[in-house]
Amino acid sequence: MNDILLDVKAVSKRFGGVAALKGIDLVQHRGETLGMIGPNGSGKTTFVNVISGHTKPNSGTVSFDGRSVSGTNPFQIAKAGLTRTYQAVRVFGELTVRENVATALVDARDAASQEAVAEIADWLRITHRFDKPAGSLTLMEQRQVELLMRLVQKPKLMMLDEPVGGLSSAEVRTMIGVLSELKGRCTIFVIEHTMKVIRELADKVVVLMAGEKLAEGPPAQILADQRVIDKYLGTADA
Amino acid sequence: MTPVTEKKDLSLLAKGHGLPLACFAVVAFATPFLLSGNRYFAFVAGVTMIHILWASGMNLLYGYTGLMPLMFAGLAGISAYTVVGLTASGWSFWLALPVGALAASISGIILGLPSLRLKGFYFTLCSLVIQTVVTLGFIYFSGLTNGDTGISQIPLPSMGGGQPLSGLAYDLVLSAAAVIGVIVLIVIVKSTLGRRLIAIREDDELAGMLGINVTGYKMIAFFIGSLFAGVGGALYAPYIGFISPRSFDVLISMNIWLMVAFGGRGTIWGPVIGAILLAPLSFLLQEYYTVKDILYGLLIIAVIVLMPAGIAGGFLRKKKESAPPLDVPATPRGAK
Repeated sequence: MNDILLDVKAVSKRFGGVAALKGIDLVQHRGETLGMIGPNGSGKTTFVNVISGHTKPNSGTVSFDGRSVSGTNPFQIAKAGLTRTYQAVRVFGELTVRENVATALVDARDAASQEAVAEIADWLRITHRFDKPAGSLTLMEQRQVELLMRLVQKPKLMMLDEPVGGLSSAEVRTMIGVLSELKGRCTIFVIEHTMKVIRELADKVVVLMAGEKLAEGPPAQILADQRVIDKYLGTADA
Repeated sequence: MTPVTEKKDLSLLAKGHGLPLACFAVVAFATPFLLSGNRYFAFVAGVTMIHILWASGMNLLYGYTGLMPLMFAGLAGISAYTVVGLTASGWSFWLALPVGALAASISGIILGLPSLRLKGFYFTLCSLVIQTVVTLGFIYFSGLTNGDTGISQIPLPSMGGGQPLSGLAYDLVLSAAAVIGVIVLIVIVKSTLGRRLIAIREDDELAGMLGINVTGYKMIAFFIGSLFAGVGGALYAPYIGFISPRSFDVLISMNIWLMVAFGGRGTIWGPVIGAILLAPLSFLLQEYYTVKDILYGLLIIAVIVLMPAGIAGGFLRKKKESAPPLDVPATPRGAK
């Protein structure tokens, strides 16, 4: 279980005159939780957008699960088993949770069985909301629906873009519990500003700074790294 | 605990169409008989049936896929001119009809290509331009279309024994077309195709992320929606007996759109009701055509401002539970 799941080589992306990503190299092994941190505008979301096919990189290659996915469409990458969430929660708000799940199932490469869906929904404690429009749920519940919709597709890699953004501190604790159990279900890549999440979940941390990789290593080492503290964390460890 | 029961059980619009469909079919097939004493009323009913078919096709694109194609009438026109041209050169109408409908479908896919890049209002604007160009095409290629003069005295299709399909028989064919159109729409909406289209309507980026081929399914939607336009256009030409570029101009597109929006986009029966209410209106108001245009304009504004979800949509919304207040904190729920 230590083979390479995600292999990113020299990915660069420019938006007009702004270089959002400058030759990023990154390797993620199967089962390894990778955390990505960095100040706002450092290119974290752009990085996920490039990997998930939403943004075409100017140069560089991405291979996922042993296959090159550079230049393919988001739906093909999704079918290969790479899924993601968005920084702002994103569900089909007009549709019920049940319909959201059904939609996630229609084109899943390896869709979960009915029992498996029920099991995941029970685990996420969202079953009682199944017939409510997803848009009427609380932010926490919508995040749970997002996870449910991904998990029924049995992804190999889930990229989470700020999974605890906007949640209360009690909800953050709950979500950390959910995510640490999620590690048993698929490999996780997580962008976060909340260091608590990174410290508790990540096996490896990558720090992005102005589109460049500033540091990479185990969380304890990275969070103690003087360059990271100076440029990102400041004195107060968030 | 509400376990996810069956996959089929997960679809929203799947249930409850059997009874309304049966009622609609009975009414659709009974109307030509009931009105057979009055040719004019029967004719108005026949034209309404064509509009039910058109509204259902527009509904697939506008209501379920979230694209507002204002070149819809132009697609119907492409089919109508194709069929009229082919029958004039000796083809059987029944052979020309699928060819015409297919011509509309292929045109629909090509003319729908901007929808892959343009979203919402911008695609609508683009489709308006496309419709204008198609109308100009009908005028310009007068060798095929007889230009602005139009083509009159279009012969009726023939039935089995060489008899012309006229009166009651033609009316019944139109009823059948409307009923089949609605059935096809129900089947699509109930299927996984319908679910994909609704996902694209709601959020196409999210749909793509969930593994849905957004480009492919938009094109499939255009193919099928244009097929509705094409079959309607093919049946329309001999029924009216006269077509001109004005028969398929932007006002007709807007008219069909209004039927869908007024009735309730994204519901099966809303647009059917919209067509039943609005298609005869233009006949009733034929002598007051200035009033008609004003009325249509007012209706468009009223629909947009007062009932963006249409008659059926407003009805459905009342049934929906109201959302909980936003400031209620989520109860912390452990993962265990």
